[in-house]
Amino acid sequence: MSNMIRGTLLGMTLALAVPLGAAQAQVNELKIMAPAAPGGGWDQTARSMQHALQTEKIVGNVQVMNVPGAGGTIGIAQFVNSSKGDPNALMVSGYVMVGAIITNKSPVDLSQVTPLARLTGEYEALVVPTSSPLKTMDDFVKVLKADPAKVSWAGGSAGGTDHITAGLIVKALGIEPSKLNYIAFSGGGESLASILGGKVTVGLNGLSEVEPQAKAGKLRILGVSSAQRLPGIDAPTFKEAGVDVEVQNWRMVAAAPGISAEQKKALLDVVEKMAKSATWQDTLKTKGWADTYLAGPEFEKQLAADIANTKVVLKDIGLTQ
Amino acid sequence: METFDALGQGLLIALQPSNLLFAFIGVMLGTAVGVLPGIGPALTVALLLPITFKLDPAGSLIMFAGIYYGGMYGGSTASILLNTPGESSSIVTALEGNKMARAGRGGPALATAAIGSFVAGTIATIGLALVAPTVVDIAISFGPEDYFALMVLAFTTVSAAFGSSVTRGLVSLFLGLTLGLIGIDLQSGQARISFGIPDLLDGVEVTTLAVALFAIGETLSVAAAGNRAEEVIEPVRGSVFMSKEDWKRSWFPWLRGTALGFPIGAMPAGGAEIPTFLSYALEKRLCKKPEEFGNGAIEGVAGPEAANNAAAAGVLVPLLTLGLPTSATAAIMLAGFQQYGLNPGPLLFTTNPDLVWGLIASLFIANGMLLVLNLPLVGLWVRLLAIPRPWLYGGILVFATLGTLGANPSLVELGMLVVFGLLGYVLRRYNYPIAPVVVGLILGPLSEQQLRRALAISVGDPMVLFQSPIALTLYALSILALLGPMLFTLITGRRAPVGGDED
Amino acid sequence: MSDPAQPPSRPTPDKAGFVIALGLAVLAVVVGLDAWRLSAMPSYSAVGPAAFPAIIAGGLGILAIATAIEALKGAEEERPHDEVKPILWVLGGLLGQIALLPFAGFSIATGWLFAATVKGFGRGPVWAHFLAGAVISFVIYVIFAKGLQLSLPAGPIERLI
Repeated sequence: MSNMIRGTLLGMTLALAVPLGAAQAQVNELKIMAPAAPGGGWDQTARSMQHALQTEKIVGNVQVMNVPGAGGTIGIAQFVNSSKGDPNALMVSGYVMVGAIITNKSPVDLSQVTPLARLTGEYEALVVPTSSPLKTMDDFVKVLKADPAKVSWAGGSAGGTDHITAGLIVKALGIEPSKLNYIAFSGGGESLASILGGKVTVGLNGLSEVEPQAKAGKLRILGVSSAQRLPGIDAPTFKEAGVDVEVQNWRMVAAAPGISAEQKKALLDVVEKMAKSATWQDTLKTKGWADTYLAGPEFEKQLAADIANTKVVLKDIGLTQ
Repeated sequence: METFDALGQGLLIALQPSNLLFAFIGVMLGTAVGVLPGIGPALTVALLLPITFKLDPAGSLIMFAGIYYGGMYGGSTASILLNTPGESSSIVTALEGNKMARAGRGGPALATAAIGSFVAGTIATIGLALVAPTVVDIAISFGPEDYFALMVLAFTTVSAAFGSSVTRGLVSLFLGLTLGLIGIDLQSGQARISFGIPDLLDGVEVTTLAVALFAIGETLSVAAAGNRAEEVIEPVRGSVFMSKEDWKRSWFPWLRGTALGFPIGAMPAGGAEIPTFLSYALEKRLCKKPEEFGNGAIEGVAGPEAANNAAAAGVLVPLLTLGLPTSATAAIMLAGFQQYGLNPGPLLFTTNPDLVWGLIASLFIANGMLLVLNLPLVGLWVRLLAIPRPWLYGGILVFATLGTLGANPSLVELGMLVVFGLLGYVLRRYNYPIAPVVVGLILGPLSEQQLRRALAISVGDPMVLFQSPIALTLYALSILALLGPMLFTLITGRRAPVGGDED
Repeated sequence: MSDPAQPPSRPTPDKAGFVIALGLAVLAVVVGLDAWRLSAMPSYSAVGPAAFPAIIAGGLGILAIATAIEALKGAEEERPHDEVKPILWVLGGLLGQIALLPFAGFSIATGWLFAATVKGFGRGPVWAHFLAGAVISFVIYVIFAKGLQLSLPAGPIERLI
């Protein structure tokens, strides 16, 4: 799970942006599927894309369609079946779908769509209440190694990003992953409440959810799942603290299966224009989304690695056989 | 004093003409979507977020507050008149409310719901302004074992909704519990009773089940009755307004409903449904005319309606004081805050007091506006029931499917609507109560998850369930709820007025 | 499913009650088998995903027996005769809507639902109600698509806008 330094990212995408011929088919309309109910992260991503594409006049007519259910696996199944070869169809997806496809034994997976680019991502944070005796990652590792079952972890639903991160941490420390005592909560609010109330030993949450709590002195961030230290976050990365784990809960956009190389190029061009546009950059800022844009073969490599790693972890923590 | 100054400032902001207009648009929109089952305030606000981006923060947050409270009103109106609960928290309202409407007392039912919502909303909003920090400390101290005890209390008290036969009530409840098993288990990630159908992995939607059992099941049984049920629904019998007796019978349920709804709504895993169950059960026990329950008792509308509106305000307590979104609507509100670069968290009250107080003030405005707009409309609303039966039921089915499709355009979801509708018909035909099915679906998964969380944290030690004073108190109340009628019989030598079949 | 009206001189066993008891028993077996399947999987928590299903399956089994015993005692009351035709119309409306939605779109499918339900309540003609229902549904579609940005299933009519 590598991280992109802004400079190399820019260089790489510039190299990718092959000059398009005059005969290149123009993308005039787009249907973006959000494989989730309105309001969630994927839906917001799809609607923000719609907003940016139309405001910047990159594509004239953009429609968003919601197909909620089963961690996005219902949406991807419908996308693959009904949009095959459609050069005007896009789907928003994310790291959560990687896990959902595996745990739900979905017959359709991400290898059947045409991944275009990663748009944004969020890091995971390991937190304890301020009153906790655990002051540093080292303290935590000591307690965890002493009796892994006694350490309770709060986070989102089983098989989600929080759970996978917990599994990776335990594994990196050489502890039997089946001993992980993970308590799933149905939402970020509920899991944070249990952490603040001191009901569990530690919690794993998206960084943006815990940041205001940490600033207010209610929570202490022990470690963050990014590759480098993040500006404004007073906590080491897991790697710095000697736990070799890197996780990014990313969101991406994919095109339909069976489109031609030219059609793919045209869509990549559209997505890149959008990602670089002022409107999109503004949206990222107001929503607090990190710009982790990554496109083309680099992204495809990253995606393949993520899928492979996730498969192993989910098996280790006992979610799949 | 500071608080009142701040609130006054907020009111001044909210009372500006342009903001009043936003509040008006919000409550109208909220009422409209609240009426539709499946589509609620959360979905509406989510869809409006991109549109309101250009508005100023105060204006759009005021509009969202209007949508939030408006959704509650719309939900109860649909429950009472059409027996199609628009929101899961207005399911209980349908039990007595629809019976009242069918008996020509739709006017008082709508009025007690509207005024009760106003009273509860106002008291709870005052609570939000004054005691939020204290309430939130208590709410956060609830652990999984305490929630489990709360669920036990809910289970034991809702047996009041079981009807005449214990076996039949339990059959209904277990059907609900079984439906609650469907889908992915949150703790282990394993699919249960899903037969490999991906659409079942998210489980059964509460509003889908409630609408199917209540509205479609009833449409089927009325249609099946054919000429036999040729009585015409009289939309108004007596006055459309509440009589003196109605007022007397509503007043205390409003207050008790508020007292249940606000604190439970403030709990991170409390929700708005459990207080409505508890309120219904409590009112049934306390009512002087318990035989009216099941046939349209006004207390059964007044209490739960107050409870669900108070819970709606309660949900904002953890959001505004800690930045914790504990319901779908709160999560969307959070997104609304973030859109303007605000990060709700423990510091929101200190960093952006004008906005917080503006929001609280606009909740007052929205609440008042809803009352003013809705009360005169009560007479008009009840005329809906005067629509000839074929068109009325045709319209109800269009409505029910529209709500389901709007929230999730999936044919499997519509298929579930039909299957559960048939189930509702069969249950009615053979005298099985409907409400326990919905209760089982809501409480089953909640209680299972909380119990398993508690036992996982204690590494399997069951004693953890009986160590917290909160849990012990709740268990004591449960025992009282179960044995109370029996003790009553022992002491007085005559049968308890309610729950007489629990021997 | 309706029993012929018989004077309850001697309690006749309630047939419907037995059918319900059988249904509950089948449900108990389905839930129980699922619990058994789940319990075979390795679980790392104190109480696994199979515990609650097992309890519920047991409860359903007991209730099946209790319902059967009550049915033996005889029907507690006479059930009025239900007409089958209206039910079939309403069900036909609902199922027809599901069948029509994917290709005919929201307006036509929902127009049919309205017309069939109205017919089930004994009022025709079906075509007039279908037209009225489809027009109203189209208006609803426009409000949803334009006002709320929410897309209901579209068909030939909806694509016109």
